[in-house]
Amino acid sequence: MALVIRKPAIDILSAAKWMIRKDCRALSSLVEKAEEAEKRPVGRRPRFQNPALEYRHIFPEFLPDPNPKWRNSLREKMERADMLKRRSQIDIPEFYVGSVLAVTISDPHAQGKTNRFVGICIERKGCGLRAEFTLRNVVDHQGVEIRYDLYDPTIQSIQVLRLEKRLDDKLLYLRDALPEYSTFPFDMDPEILPEGTPVPVNPVQVKLKPRPWLERWERQELKGVSNIEEHLKEKDRIRRELRKTPWEKYDLMKEYRKTIPVEDQSEIWGEVHNQLNQLRLSRKKMFKKRPISTPKPQLG
Amino acid sequence: MATFNMKILCTTLSKLSVNRVTIRQNAYYKPPKYRPPHWFMPKERVMSEDMLTQENRDFIEEIKQEKLNSQSALESPLANVDQQTVKWNYYTRRVGLIARKIGNYPLWSKDGKKFQTTLLQVVDNHVIKYIPPEEFNPMRTKKICWKEKRTLGCLLVGSETVDPSTVTKDYCGIFNSVGMLPKRFLFRFMVSRNAALPTGTPLFATHFRVGDYVDVRAKTIDRGFQGVMKRWGFSGMPASHGVTKTHRRPGNIGAGGEKARVWPGTKMPGHMGNRWRTLRGVKILRINTQHNILWMLGVGIPGETGAVCYLYDTVLPLKKLKVAPPFPTHPASHDLPLEYYDESIHPFEEQTIMFDEA
Amino acid sequence: MFRSVLNKFYYNNLSCGLHTTACLNEVQLLTRLRVVDNSEIGKRAMAEGKPPKVICVYNKKRIGYIGDRVLVAIKGQKKKGILVGLKQIQNVKVPKFDSNNVVLIDDNGTPLGTRIHVPIPTILRTILKERTHAKGADYTKLLSIATKFV
Repeated sequence: MALVIRKPAIDILSAAKWMIRKDCRALSSLVEKAEEAEKRPVGRRPRFQNPALEYRHIFPEFLPDPNPKWRNSLREKMERADMLKRRSQIDIPEFYVGSVLAVTISDPHAQGKTNRFVGICIERKGCGLRAEFTLRNVVDHQGVEIRYDLYDPTIQSIQVLRLEKRLDDKLLYLRDALPEYSTFPFDMDPEILPEGTPVPVNPVQVKLKPRPWLERWERQELKGVSNIEEHLKEKDRIRRELRKTPWEKYDLMKEYRKTIPVEDQSEIWGEVHNQLNQLRLSRKKMFKKRPISTPKPQLG
Repeated sequence: MATFNMKILCTTLSKLSVNRVTIRQNAYYKPPKYRPPHWFMPKERVMSEDMLTQENRDFIEEIKQEKLNSQSALESPLANVDQQTVKWNYYTRRVGLIARKIGNYPLWSKDGKKFQTTLLQVVDNHVIKYIPPEEFNPMRTKKICWKEKRTLGCLLVGSETVDPSTVTKDYCGIFNSVGMLPKRFLFRFMVSRNAALPTGTPLFATHFRVGDYVDVRAKTIDRGFQGVMKRWGFSGMPASHGVTKTHRRPGNIGAGGEKARVWPGTKMPGHMGNRWRTLRGVKILRINTQHNILWMLGVGIPGETGAVCYLYDTVLPLKKLKVAPPFPTHPASHDLPLEYYDESIHPFEEQTIMFDEA
Repeated sequence: MFRSVLNKFYYNNLSCGLHTTACLNEVQLLTRLRVVDNSEIGKRAMAEGKPPKVICVYNKKRIGYIGDRVLVAIKGQKKKGILVGLKQIQNVKVPKFDSNNVVLIDDNGTPLGTRIHVPIPTILRTILKERTHAKGADYTKLLSIATKFV
């Protein structure tokens, strides 16, 4: 009945509350270190202590858009129910930006009515049923990118060929990098990580092609690019210094507006935890049947 | 101390009432042109400190709960009425619904296309009162009504039960007279004589069916006082080339000579949004019977998330109802399926879409 | 002194008369394209570093989308071509390429080359079939010389 009523006063109140106990806000990316410290004394079962800490990286699309103008608890609930329904039909695995995926879709335009594409995930965005990801590959010396909806019912399967993370949140700079960094064979074998290992971070640093670039990569503080300094002029360095925003990491209000409060998150994860866990277990059973191979030496 | 005195003063002043009302009886008196309908009462109450003891507070709370329980336990008056006595025809007008816009998300069709939808929630709608056409006397307008006889009655529908202590006595009285609890929103629907419903009938999302077309009336997003570029989409003037102080201004607003004045209706800066707009012919793609949610095709429904909108059967001749809908409304029942889907929509719990070789 | 430092910081936020949004990468008049078939004229034009320019897009909007017919100026000649890959942001499930690709055709829709050496999108199959009419040009010959679909 009163689900739809929103009061701005509540927002301010919760913002104030959040400011007070900022030491236990386990949401922003800044607090990764704090989590590590929390994990250590727990010992052997660190992974499922608080599902919020774990799941918000694995299933980021379950968190709604933090813009209070678009929040509505009932709509979010219906959306999550629909997402779980879709997840019960196909296995949407855990993957990150930087993982190599193979996506098979049913395509009315293709011969045989199915279409398979392999590529590295360079971007992941959107919340709820709108979640989408972009795959990039270089086929016959031609860079190709395809965007997919994560919950599109025409997707037949999503297979993770190599599960890893990269140093950056978005790999859009691969468009300006040398083509070998985004070339993946279509007949690539899936590399299965041993059970229980954390997701490896690939520390590869790509080399950019000379300018012109699609974006001003030098201003974005990228960690995964090695030769950005060679291509810069003195003018670019000065402008980069001018446009730096070092105060932004101390802007608590901005961080608050970008994230979902921990109270809301624990509610959401409490709702979907059981079903997600069941889906996970059933998937693990499937994986046990396959042989385990060691991860290959990394690219670059 | 001063504030306390002010409070006492306020409460005493608010209790003052004028007992003698003089009514002008001279021949020159004309009633005011604007006469709002009798249910247009001031709703918001000025909250004052009542200085109640805890026991009294508890007692009031108890009474409220009792009333709410008795309200929710009310049986639909339609349960005992025979549905077959009244027949629907092409020209009947049914009652509509009051709904809240709660957001939008995509649905996929069976051929793999993505549709953006808007979710509307129907929050406990009840029929408050029916005024037959003979008694209904709406406010006067400038439009001359050539019809000598009124054929449509007026049906008041309320939505979202509120705490009676938060609204004014007058507003509460409208509902008290028919034995209902006050509602946050009260709206009138013009209905045919045989589509009248008894007081207290609950209305659900199943009043409409999947695949039907409806008209949605709501207030657009309030954007405040806006310039001509945002309000009317003018292109403004260049940013450079010697232009000073006129980058977002309208420019010329009229010609000289005979018509040396600003013509009525010229597009100018002003208040934008917050006005009633109707979106006609919106298709219903999916209905949830548990939470009373309607999934409407498209994102063009006016208002922001949380806006109230009114739904009617559409008036567009090609999209009008052809077969009889639930008439006068869909009765309350517990054995309905949880979800209805339009035949073009792919339910999420179904298998992945596969295309056959043609 | 302090003021000048402050101004430097604000320079970032205030509008400085430059575009800050991403460009649309539309194929319009005078866009340079990449010829992706092995026709003689196309190969030579690309090898010389003089890629063809669009001088007309045959649709109402005059902005080329996937499968549209264009008129290009290539090595001093006018040739027709079909857009088979775009740099612009595409719909979901439609591939986006790193370059604007074109395949040269003659007036009947027959491609000038015999092979396309880059992948072409599968949606082109449906689009070109729709554009082909019984008496007019037959564009589906282009599909048969493609080596790979994505």
